[in-house]
Amino acid sequence: MDSVISVAGLVKSYGTFTALRGLDLEVARGEVHGFLGPNGAGKSTTIRVLLGLLKADAGRVEVLGGDPWRDVVELHRRLAYVPGDVSLWPGLTGGEAIDLLGNLRGGLDEKRRAYLVERFELDTTKRGRQYSKGNKQKVALVAALCSDVELLILDEPTSGLDPLMEIVFQEEIEAEKARGRSVLLSSHILSEAEALADRVSIIRDGVVVETGTLDQLRHRTRTQVRATLERPPHTVSELSLLEDAQLDGLHVRGAIEAERVGEAMALLGRYGIAALTVSPPSLEDLFLRHYGEGNGADAAPPAAAGVVETPEADAGYHGRHSPPED
Amino acid sequence: MRSRLTGARHLLHVALKQDRKNIAPWIALISVLSASSVLVYDWVFPTQQSQQILQLNITANPAMSLIFGKPVDLTTADGFNAWRAGALGAFFAGLMAIFIVVRNSRAEEDSGRAELVAAAAVGREARPLVAVAVAFMASVLLGVVSALVTIAFGGGVADSVMLSATFTASAMFFAGLGIIAAQLGSDARSASTLAVSTLGAFFVVRGYIDSSGAPDWATWLTPFGWLQETRPAVDNIWWPLLLVVGVAVVLVAVGLALHSRRDFGMGLVPPRPGPARAGAVGNVWGLALRLHRPTMVSWMVGFVVLGVLLGFLANTLTDVIAQNPTIGMILASGAVSEDDLVGEFLLTMIRILGIYAAVHGVQIVMRLHAEEAEGRADPLLGGAITRATHLASHAVIAFVSTAFGMVLAGTVMGWVADATGDTIGFGDVLGQAVATIPAVWVLVGLALAVVGAKPSKRLIGWMGVVATFALTILGPLFNLDEWVLDISPLWHVPNVGATDPAWLGLVGLAVVAVFFTTVGFVGYRRRDIA
Repeated sequence: MDSVISVAGLVKSYGTFTALRGLDLEVARGEVHGFLGPNGAGKSTTIRVLLGLLKADAGRVEVLGGDPWRDVVELHRRLAYVPGDVSLWPGLTGGEAIDLLGNLRGGLDEKRRAYLVERFELDTTKRGRQYSKGNKQKVALVAALCSDVELLILDEPTSGLDPLMEIVFQEEIEAEKARGRSVLLSSHILSEAEALADRVSIIRDGVVVETGTLDQLRHRTRTQVRATLERPPHTVSELSLLEDAQLDGLHVRGAIEAERVGEAMALLGRYGIAALTVSPPSLEDLFLRHYGEGNGADAAPPAAAGVVETPEADAGYHGRHSPPED
Repeated sequence: MRSRLTGARHLLHVALKQDRKNIAPWIALISVLSASSVLVYDWVFPTQQSQQILQLNITANPAMSLIFGKPVDLTTADGFNAWRAGALGAFFAGLMAIFIVVRNSRAEEDSGRAELVAAAAVGREARPLVAVAVAFMASVLLGVVSALVTIAFGGGVADSVMLSATFTASAMFFAGLGIIAAQLGSDARSASTLAVSTLGAFFVVRGYIDSSGAPDWATWLTPFGWLQETRPAVDNIWWPLLLVVGVAVVLVAVGLALHSRRDFGMGLVPPRPGPARAGAVGNVWGLALRLHRPTMVSWMVGFVVLGVLLGFLANTLTDVIAQNPTIGMILASGAVSEDDLVGEFLLTMIRILGIYAAVHGVQIVMRLHAEEAEGRADPLLGGAITRATHLASHAVIAFVSTAFGMVLAGTVMGWVADATGDTIGFGDVLGQAVATIPAVWVLVGLALAVVGAKPSKRLIGWMGVVATFALTILGPLFNLDEWVLDISPLWHVPNVGATDPAWLGLVGLAVVAVFFTTVGFVGYRRRDIA
């Protein structure tokens, strides 16, 4: 695989706190790679190592074939970065900040700059201190998207964007992908990752616990089956093929591994199927499964998925881990 | 009124808890300033003769009055303390109060925390009033602690209480000024700059009045002058304090009135749209220049003002000497010549300029750390620049701006001194100012070293300036050993006017400055970005 990011066994600690404990991450050229995980899992620390802002304690880190700690200037000409918590210069206008950041990457495309400013409906004459959170984020996004780079590293880039702008963002990332750019997209917004990511890595407590295409990950999780039968089974034990099978009159619900859905259909068919819902696991299910593991909870809470708030609501997260001595 | 102050009690509780650790060092610093003078006095000046020599030395060098105020009676420990800690303590107390008020009002607004508070069931005036209340409480605590510590180290009770009360009054006055500045400025930084510049201007005007033999009524032109009129340790007059505190209350009322007339997060002057394109700030060098420009402009104005004042002072020196019969007697005895006094005076003044320049330089370097801490270094370093370039964009400004300031002040001072009399020539002044630049750079370099390599220890950068000030200005008076005085970089600056200047000192200073700077650059390359 031709990788734009290749990390193996990355360890990073702040004093006694170990933020990353042997993290592996591969981002292939031309793909949008979703980088998912709960608050404090180590997403921003990883990204800051990839940018050469932090020095790795151990492990191998390669970005665009170079060492991010050593080859800062050469690499940074070829990548663009959007932090999750954009801090602008209070006295500089948004337009000035875009030009500054663009020039630091070796120039920006004028036509694209104009197009993106229009697209994101950004007033570039306001000062940094006047911008709302979402507008600061737009400044950083425009600056990153209007430079001609191979790799975009986006750390929760849409926090604070309204739903309309979120759609614009997704369309622009699709366009970037179509032009052959690679994207590392750290996100809390699962629908965003689901819509954009070719592959995802789920990070937890400083290690990547799962990585693959969404389909691959789905296969590792159970599919939910609900059916209304024509004839009830005598006891629920007849349905033991299904995990957590529940029987309520003619209504059956349970779960089964993705590759055995066919067997389940055959079993249910014997009782006659009046109505049937088979739902493959959403990214949310996958994600929640990994959340739950630490608490020793059962690995499949999909029924609750619809009511659990997505972590996107956590706006107080500052997108970085402060060293304890600070 | 009650509903407008709803929630103030809770806010005050939180603010005090948050701000304790920021206030404590100020109280400690000022208390030590006061206590240390009574402690060292009997030890350094044990005999009546040495005490009188002290009085003479200081009276004969108006540059000392510029910093510390007019010496009244230096033949007692308390009188010495009132001189050494009086004006300076009031100055630091004012700084403390300004920072407390701005931190608890304007900086809270900038950070967005105040928005949470403003949206809660909290009265309109509660937030600014809490900021002032914290400052007033700190002011009173400062007075109490300073008085107790000074008395404990041997200060007279009435004298120490009087002196410490002037610190309290000064802090309250500048808290009032601070809350007004917090309404006028468009963010915490500009509010602090506004208030601190006013404080500095009052201090300089006071210094000029004290050192130039101005008429007595002129003392009333500044709040520092009012405080001096309490004449601690000599007459202990209380009523000027009431005046200062009364004006402080009026200032607070004005601040609150302004507060209720402006929008949240804005200054009184609404922000105007700016350029949509970058122009000169399109690279890190332009950015650094833009970030430091407002500060540099105000400091350069300061350099010019100081130059003019010191230039005028140079020629009042001979008057001061002529008017003072005791100095006349010493001169007559042949122990010291008038040229010696003039030379010493010039050296002291240029050292004061050097310290002023160092504060400016260190402030620029500290701004680099603030940028990093506020997350604005990340996007820059995420661009195609090296750490060295980023550090250099600020370091170059710190070095150039301090050097330019010294040359500017030296030129103005030399020109004014030359034009108004013939005590001191243009070349002497400018030459001495230029020779002082490497010493200033050592202090800037020290700040660069800590901010670059170990920002958690950045206080060392300021400590270098404070130590240099204490050693250079007060060290010689205290008969400190030569090796102790040698710690101060300013001590290695050759006396350009001497027959055989010790030029080698400049080489040493340059080597140390380069060393510190290198440590900063190497350290910045090697460490994690916060």
